[in-house]
Amino acid sequence: MPTADDVKSSWADEVELEGGALPPPTEVRENGFKILTEYKYGDDNKKTKIVRTYKIEKRIVSKSIALRKTWAKFGESADDKPGPNPATTIGGEDVYMQYVTSKEEDNKVEEDGLDKLKLVAADKAVVKCRTCNGDHWTSKCPWKDTALASAKTVDGEKKTPQIQAQAGDSTIKSMTNKYLPPNMRGDGAAKRIDNAGMSGARRDDAIAIRVSNLSDSTTDADLEELVKPFGPVNKLYLAKEKQTGQCRGFGYVHFKFRNDAVKAIATLNGHGYDHLILNVDWSKPNTHSNQ
Amino acid sequence: MKPLILHGHERAITQIKYNREGDLLFSSSKDNKPNVWYSLNGERLGTFNGHQGAVWCIDIDWTSTRFLSGAGDNTLKLWDCETGKVIGSISTNSPVRACNFSYSGNMAVFATDKSMGHQCEIHIIDVRNADESLSKAPPILKIPVNGHRVSSLLWSSLDETLLTGHEKGEITQWDLQTGKKLSNVTEHDNTITDMQMSKDGTMFITSSKDHTAKLFDCDNLMLLKTYKTERPVNSAAISPILEHVVLGGGQDAMDVTTTSARIGKFDSRFFHLVFEEEFGRVKGHFGPINSVAFHPDGKSYSSGGEDGYVRVHNFDQSYFEYGFDY
Repeated sequence: MPTADDVKSSWADEVELEGGALPPPTEVRENGFKILTEYKYGDDNKKTKIVRTYKIEKRIVSKSIALRKTWAKFGESADDKPGPNPATTIGGEDVYMQYVTSKEEDNKVEEDGLDKLKLVAADKAVVKCRTCNGDHWTSKCPWKDTALASAKTVDGEKKTPQIQAQAGDSTIKSMTNKYLPPNMRGDGAAKRIDNAGMSGARRDDAIAIRVSNLSDSTTDADLEELVKPFGPVNKLYLAKEKQTGQCRGFGYVHFKFRNDAVKAIATLNGHGYDHLILNVDWSKPNTHSNQ
Repeated sequence: MKPLILHGHERAITQIKYNREGDLLFSSSKDNKPNVWYSLNGERLGTFNGHQGAVWCIDIDWTSTRFLSGAGDNTLKLWDCETGKVIGSISTNSPVRACNFSYSGNMAVFATDKSMGHQCEIHIIDVRNADESLSKAPPILKIPVNGHRVSSLLWSSLDETLLTGHEKGEITQWDLQTGKKLSNVTEHDNTITDMQMSKDGTMFITSSKDHTAKLFDCDNLMLLKTYKTERPVNSAAISPILEHVVLGGGQDAMDVTTTSARIGKFDSRFFHLVFEEEFGRVKGHFGPINSVAFHPDGKSYSSGGEDGYVRVHNFDQSYFEYGFDY
């Protein structure tokens, strides 16, 4: 015999029926996951659906720990259901340990010292770049990896005076101790960005490669093994499925040295790995071409 | 790593501690209910209701059956860990600032504040057959402290000596047979906020408001290492498996509102035990960190902050693979 609940003529009625009442919360357990669905009214009085997914794990522990796991909850938690109560236990955002080396800080101090040295003996070239004859180390040369570096032997003579003039300009400007808003500091700003690029983010991007068409079963260790032979790696990232932990088919590798990255791309692109053919390229071709 | 955020307290966390096996995590705060959590999934097992004031210190015995808490309501309470019921309660003349079970679990020690005209005192009590009569039983030993108050304490040398850290930075070693001072060193310039033992019990780390944490030998109180930061250190812990220490701090709670979280630097800081060099930071808290603790297996650590949250972090693989460039 059909009851009133079974007969719902249209969705409009359904909405009306629901009216103020919210659908009851549900709990579904399937293949190792517990999915809690809850409905409530949000701040803007709109109905919100909250889905929480918990992974159910089995662990083998010592008897004393297992015994403690069976203890009844007490105090304020006495009424809590088994499993974490969302009111008191919250899954946090991903955080990463930021690795810092005091060596970097040492370098900074050194650079400062170098700047002072430059100011004191601005005209005496204490440090000379082999590429452009500017007053910086060759490794810090802004024209590194550009045509100039390779063209130097051919027409180095023609370009160097111009560059020297630029360098001189910037030192004169930095010598005048008047405040200039950042957007007005033509050379300074450019220089600062350059510096940042040299030591930080941009260089990272430039030597990051993207490895795609990886198989599902690839792990961090596999990827590391794959790229290790090419040289030291700064950072490894393998995209993974949130729930299953399976590889999503691609990853990024930040090399310490550019040459290693070039080598890795040349060798690994088209390389057969785990019954698939890898696709390897620079991770961000834009920033690469900008340089 | 994805931290678990435990939000069971309404006020600043004062101390967090793992039990010996690491499956339970205890936390106390300035609200009056210490909490106990399963460290694996962050599920709250229960709360210990009964104190009337801020809970300053907690400890758990090695069998994880009894729990000790000292509070600002001038009581020290001994609880049954399984049911959350009070076994015994001791009334004191002033707030209980530090408490610890002995290594054997047969005794417990607590120190009271110097306040309301009362002197700072260290009490050692027998907790073997503790019941309601605990409040009337006389302490095994009562040591009056003439100098600055005790802010942190530890049992050492398999319960033969007691180490206390004081308000102005002294560390004192006491002989428990006689109740006399054995030795005294002053290496810190300001309040010692926390003291934690290494896993093998040969060294301990102190944290102080003088912006440093220091590593000492337990026997002769020799200063072994100094970890320098640029802000008060509220807690420090030694990794049980790696040569790492973690420091938690930030500026004083009263200064927090005048600085933003970004410059507040409320992150946990990891130092190499031997080289005294900082190598990593973990962000997360909105206020100074008041207590840090390593899981006994060394694979995760927790921090409790002035913001009232406890954050349980499971280390990423990269932490274990991190190598120092010598």
